[in-house]
Amino acid sequence: MSSDMNGDGLSRRTVLASAAAAGATGLAGCSSLTGGGGDEPENPIELLHAWSSGDGNAAVAALIEGFQEAHPDVEFAEEPVNGAARSNLDNVISNRLQANDPPSTFQTWPGATLEKFGEAYADIEGEVWTDDLKENYLPGPKEQAKLDGTYVTVPLNIHRINNLFYNTAVLEEAGVDPESLSSPADVVDACAAVAENTDAVPFAQQTSGSWSTIQLWETVLLAQAGIDGYEAFIQGEGDVDQVRSALENVVELSEYYPSDSSSISFTEANTMVMEGDAAFIHQGDWAAGAYSGDDEFNYGEDWGQVTYPGSEGSYLLNMDSFPYFDNNPSPEATKTFLSYCGTTDAQVRFNREKGSIPPRKDADVSELNTFQQDQYDDFTSADSQPPSIQHGLAVSTGIKTNITSAFSGFLEDYDADATAEALVGAFE
Amino acid sequence: MRNPIATLRNRWSDSDARTDGGEPASERSFLDRDSVRSAPFWVPPFLLVGLFVYGAVVWNFFLSLTDFSGIGEPDYSDLDVENYFVAFSDPVDGFLSMFGMGGEVSGGTPAWSDLTVDPVWNSLGNTLALMIGFSAVCLALGLLLAILVDRGIRFENTFRTIYLLPMSLSFVVTAKFWLYMYNPQTGLINIALGVFGIGPVQIVQNPDLKLGAVAFALIWQFSGYAMIVYLAALRGIPSSHFEAARVDGASTIKMYWRVIVPQLRTATVSALVVITVFALKAFDFLFSMYGGYQPGPSADILATRMVREAYANQNWAYGSTIAVILFVMALCIVAPYIYSQYRRGEL
Repeated sequence: MSSDMNGDGLSRRTVLASAAAAGATGLAGCSSLTGGGGDEPENPIELLHAWSSGDGNAAVAALIEGFQEAHPDVEFAEEPVNGAARSNLDNVISNRLQANDPPSTFQTWPGATLEKFGEAYADIEGEVWTDDLKENYLPGPKEQAKLDGTYVTVPLNIHRINNLFYNTAVLEEAGVDPESLSSPADVVDACAAVAENTDAVPFAQQTSGSWSTIQLWETVLLAQAGIDGYEAFIQGEGDVDQVRSALENVVELSEYYPSDSSSISFTEANTMVMEGDAAFIHQGDWAAGAYSGDDEFNYGEDWGQVTYPGSEGSYLLNMDSFPYFDNNPSPEATKTFLSYCGTTDAQVRFNREKGSIPPRKDADVSELNTFQQDQYDDFTSADSQPPSIQHGLAVSTGIKTNITSAFSGFLEDYDADATAEALVGAFE
Repeated sequence: MRNPIATLRNRWSDSDARTDGGEPASERSFLDRDSVRSAPFWVPPFLLVGLFVYGAVVWNFFLSLTDFSGIGEPDYSDLDVENYFVAFSDPVDGFLSMFGMGGEVSGGTPAWSDLTVDPVWNSLGNTLALMIGFSAVCLALGLLLAILVDRGIRFENTFRTIYLLPMSLSFVVTAKFWLYMYNPQTGLINIALGVFGIGPVQIVQNPDLKLGAVAFALIWQFSGYAMIVYLAALRGIPSSHFEAARVDGASTIKMYWRVIVPQLRTATVSALVVITVFALKAFDFLFSMYGGYQPGPSADILATRMVREAYANQNWAYGSTIAVILFVMALCIVAPYIYSQYRRGEL
């Protein structure tokens, strides 16, 4: 009995001691928040991101590993925000900025999305954006790294939006040559041929959420109206006829969607292409990430990709980047990290896992897969690198909400006239 | 009328001489009062609830009067009701639009925004339709199930569990589940319709069926709750009432309609309150079903609109305005219930 009592007393003491220790740690945490400047040792880098699983998680792990090899003295506190969705991450950042407690950096779309937390960023030209970076980033990505002409963020990777992926066997059966397609209207005709000659769904698409349709429409707009028409739209000076015409093309394509498009997700739509149940899919090149995970489904043999017909010469950008917050908890360490993210070493490590390509034009891409190398060739030889609307580069968040609302209505009734008015009106 | 001060004085003097030999109340110190002595138990929760629930509600109201958007601090020095005017702008067409009539509804451009901000009519209409349709059917179905289960059937407990089980699932699970159920190719709903030669029907993005489909799924999830509340109330009715009705020659339907159902008033009101509040909170369901807070104009409710304004657009003040509208709607449901409870002396 008495030994039990002793044990009890001891454990209680242990609890007290550990509680005290926890309290002390808490206090230490508080005091370290107030530090950060002067001669005191710096806080570890706090990176918030939503890549909590899959290829994104592997990519960010590879990036951090590379950084720690290059800078073993800089401490790192990586923090995936659970819930994965990027909007959730934005909410966390928003709350922390309200509390005047920004992290070192976080995963965000560059471009117009930067306006959302605009005042909180600081200029990193010179320190991070050295002449080396300015020389080697292509004009499109370089433009997206700026907020009102000031460099505030470092783009890390590029996903392309204007792709048309296809299942080779299905197209052969249908007698369609993807290389011969030269306009969005040709895609509709090719879908008709697929519908006629095969049992496969011509155009795999999901419509339960609006994002796939928005990126399809922006691709068609780019293909039909050209880079000038596209640029005019994102400046808020879009021509309503061009917008309507692109929507009408999407309406025609929607005839060839799977009949259950509103109940499936992107993954399921993409799987239809992999299993030969669908001919085409329009997606960002993350679709290829799923293909490379399947040994039976190989690039060049079983699947292929063409630039979305009509948009040749453009590389429609979707990027992730790490911005620099003013009032940074770890100013020097963050700049070291961002500088590292601007190197080819970091970008190759990251993009090898992520399936995207480096934004620098001097990267050694021999370590990336064949498809990525082909995309990289397209990228470096592209005439223009316009920013994506759906992926937050082209328009500020308020306008993007209006555009998304317009498309959530479009998915209900496919009314091209009303949606075109709403899209042009999204800027008012 | 008696002089209140005199009354008070009388009471005071009365209490001086107590015939039961107890301590005179006037000499009881302030610290000895029951309310004071129990303070350690009721004060902390009182303050916490007061601050974090009611304090937040009041704060939110003041926030809705500001022009707060983007990051930074709200400016409380310049309060106005502009946001409410924007929310209810174009009242005639807006109100008519809730019933599918009237012209195009135009928004307003408040001082804090460069963009036109839409009024809330559309989402308000959807919220009301969802609330009324969902709670009415849910209660009716719950009552029917409760009566059936109460008839002394076999495997009563099993049935009760089966009906109640959906309520234990989260909205995220049920939304994904119903997305699958509504699938035009493989979903059970369309297969069932196919038996009658209907379909396949596109449901999830169909503007005419969207809100109904959401309500249907919510009914599936919550009618079990209504059943349990009614079942408890039915068990509380003495069997003599059933017997007396029988002796008087009432048919089963007449017995329930005339004798039993009128006694379920309290149960109805308490189930109604909980269920309508669930309808107001259908946000999670729509968020999971449509992969975000853009479910489309025919299923957009105030909750999705509110989150969109606050978190996507960072229009905090306008988001707060919508939150106040939602709060008033919830209050309209709960207040009559609390008042009736109060009148019956149950509060």
